[in-house]
Amino acid sequence: MKYLLPGCAAIILAAGSAFAEYPEKSISVLVPFNAGSGPDSSFRMLQPEMEKLLGQPMVVLNVGGAGGTVGASQFAAEPKEGYNLAFMPVGTTTTQPHLRKVSYDDTSFEPICMTIQDPMGVSVSPDAGIDTIDALVDKAKAGTVTSGGPPPGSLPHIGQAAVAAAYDIEFKYVPHEGGGAAAKSILGGQVDVLVDPVGSILNYGLKPLVVLNGERLPAAPDVPTIDEVGGKPLRYSIWFGLFAPAGTPEDVLNKLDEACKTATSTESYKATVEKSGRTPRFMDRAEFSEFFKQQYKDNASLLTAVGLKK
Amino acid sequence: MIEFIPSAFAATFSVSVLLALAAGTFAGIIIGALPGLGTVLGLVMALPFTYVMDPATAIALLLSIYVSSIYGGSISAILINVPGTPQSAASVFDGYPMAQRGDGALALGYATVGSFIGGIFSLIVLVLIAPQLAKFALQFGPIETFALIVFALTTIAWVSSGEMLKGLLSATIGLFLALIGPDAMTGQIRFNFDSLFLSAGLTVIPLLIGFFAVSEILYQAAVLKDVKLPAVTSGGFKLAPWSEWKPRIMVILRSCGIGSFIGVLPGTGATAAVFVSYADAKRRSPNPEDFGKGEPSGLLASEASNNAVSGGAMVPMMALGIPGDGGTVVLMGALTIHNVIPGVRLFSQQPDLVTLIFVLLFLSNILMLFIGGFGANLFSRMLRIPTTLLMPLVFMMSVVGAYAIRSNPVDLFVVVIFGVVGFLLRLNRFPPAPIIIGFVLGAPLEMSLRQGLILTDMNFLAFFASPIALILFCITGLIILNLFGLGNAISKRFRRKETQSNN
Repeated sequence: MKYLLPGCAAIILAAGSAFAEYPEKSISVLVPFNAGSGPDSSFRMLQPEMEKLLGQPMVVLNVGGAGGTVGASQFAAEPKEGYNLAFMPVGTTTTQPHLRKVSYDDTSFEPICMTIQDPMGVSVSPDAGIDTIDALVDKAKAGTVTSGGPPPGSLPHIGQAAVAAAYDIEFKYVPHEGGGAAAKSILGGQVDVLVDPVGSILNYGLKPLVVLNGERLPAAPDVPTIDEVGGKPLRYSIWFGLFAPAGTPEDVLNKLDEACKTATSTESYKATVEKSGRTPRFMDRAEFSEFFKQQYKDNASLLTAVGLKK
Repeated sequence: MIEFIPSAFAATFSVSVLLALAAGTFAGIIIGALPGLGTVLGLVMALPFTYVMDPATAIALLLSIYVSSIYGGSISAILINVPGTPQSAASVFDGYPMAQRGDGALALGYATVGSFIGGIFSLIVLVLIAPQLAKFALQFGPIETFALIVFALTTIAWVSSGEMLKGLLSATIGLFLALIGPDAMTGQIRFNFDSLFLSAGLTVIPLLIGFFAVSEILYQAAVLKDVKLPAVTSGGFKLAPWSEWKPRIMVILRSCGIGSFIGVLPGTGATAAVFVSYADAKRRSPNPEDFGKGEPSGLLASEASNNAVSGGAMVPMMALGIPGDGGTVVLMGALTIHNVIPGVRLFSQQPDLVTLIFVLLFLSNILMLFIGGFGANLFSRMLRIPTTLLMPLVFMMSVVGAYAIRSNPVDLFVVVIFGVVGFLLRLNRFPPAPIIIGFVLGAPLEMSLRQGLILTDMNFLAFFASPIALILFCITGLIILNLFGLGNAISKRFRRKETQSNN
């Protein structure tokens, strides 16, 4: 150990000098969703801060379609010099590969950093007369409760299935175009439950019953966590992170990790993210890599449980 | 809210806000006029610029692009038979024939003023009854939406002009094309033939470019051997005399109403609203046979309604935080960055901002009228460019536009393949519009039907228990009966009675 550490440092330094000028040119960042979408706007908030630190422009390339799998597949095959990065959400990277045949898995990407993590919550219409998760569970035991959200396999779908399973009840799932469309059906009284990021729930004017998170959220201090109300410790969130193709040089990854850390800690960045109703959350390379691998595994077993895994 | 109007106006009378409004309007018109680039792309392109602006300036830039890009689409629709945006797809029917017979300036005048009235009408609706309308929109669940879309499908009959069977066949092709890609109810991929790129499904803009722009280019190259440039009348913008406007006031107002109404309901879309307005205008016209041959009412119906949709679509976005179409999705994302959080709390907590948005929308519409009016002179000069130069340019711009949306190579194939298909269909007198109608309505039709069936435990008869759906189904039924001539006898009898009583 005594000799190993300086040895490693020497190697890193030597490698570092070879790439001393990284980045020498603009960096392409693939976002596997269309311009203006949630993942796209989440990266564009980070982009100016990163550009300042790296001294090079970052060019966003939107390759949307099929839950982000079109863009992610393209990205997995891109050059590994650090000039091709991707900004991708939880679904594209950790659920889609289990749902359908794609040309990538958890070993195709090198996680760099997580930038945003929005814990999800269970919500109902404010007119439904349901104030607690227990009241919702009672209602489901007495009759049919419908739940809405994006198509099966999406995080909100998995989340509501996990909530139902934890309470040993059943929700009849009605797929919608997305969370917004589902929220409309809930406000209109056609559908009962939506599991979605808490920030979105509040914007839609729905009533959150519990948050699927370890602690209460600053945006909704009155809403209890699922642990507080005696439920199973479910943890569901929508997160976004920066990735490189597997095989990208270590020092490039470390430099990007460092830049990401500084960028996400600026007050202006945090304020912009919070303004948009999202929760800034930084995880560095080491932490994010471990988290990513775990999510990949957990979501595989969850999708098996709901009968969707291929 | 009224107490905020003076301060809102005061906030807009700064150099930066007015500049942003003018620049946004001008850029929006150009972006709309270029086939392939539409409202969504325009907003996305402007977004990075707004990061460094103060909120009022940023909102001004975004709203003016949102308002004017829809109008811009009509310019290319009228002048070169290629709709610049999906929302102006119905403007080619009568706008282009008008330009061909030398009335391009007149057509631009109708489109500009029609768009302006549509924009102002929907703004009034937004200002006066946005919260109430949002509550009404909530009554439209999956079952009601399904009924509305079935009703919207009847418009195919009116854009098929005399070729009903071919129109229905085209619409079926459109409905089928909408099935390609992820099944929204299960997440399964359909009809992708193991191609990753096809698994993302098709989108409307490449189809539109193929069917309208490329097929038009091929048609001009193949059929019109000796192309005669249409006579360009002096000036690029001409207002028809009042005597021409007066009989068309009802057409404009009804189209504004239809546009605002469908705009308020998320998930049906501007393109559908435009065709419903067009069909409505044709149905009620004393001379429906003129539609498609350069009848100003057809152009007015399309232009008034597509701009009315833009205001209507802002109702659920601002009052509920639920965007109704691609444009409002981006607009909402952009507004949130500038600390305007659309949703239930906006009207109660930030009435000053709501008022500012209303004032900016109002000014954007006024500017659109003036910049559109003065710019028309410039735009109509396009007609003096020889077709052999203009059309390849249009082709190039269109293809770039089609690819820019999501960088999927399949969109390039769609443009070329459906350009050839569209050309062949056109030679055989298949109307192209029903394919687009079928395509844009296909996904929401399937979604609402299957959602409704889940909610009713697979009992379709339960759909008729919804009063709104029942009314819409009845109207649809009457229209179909009418199409098959069963209604003709009845209406003839009515008309005879009317003429008798008039005598």
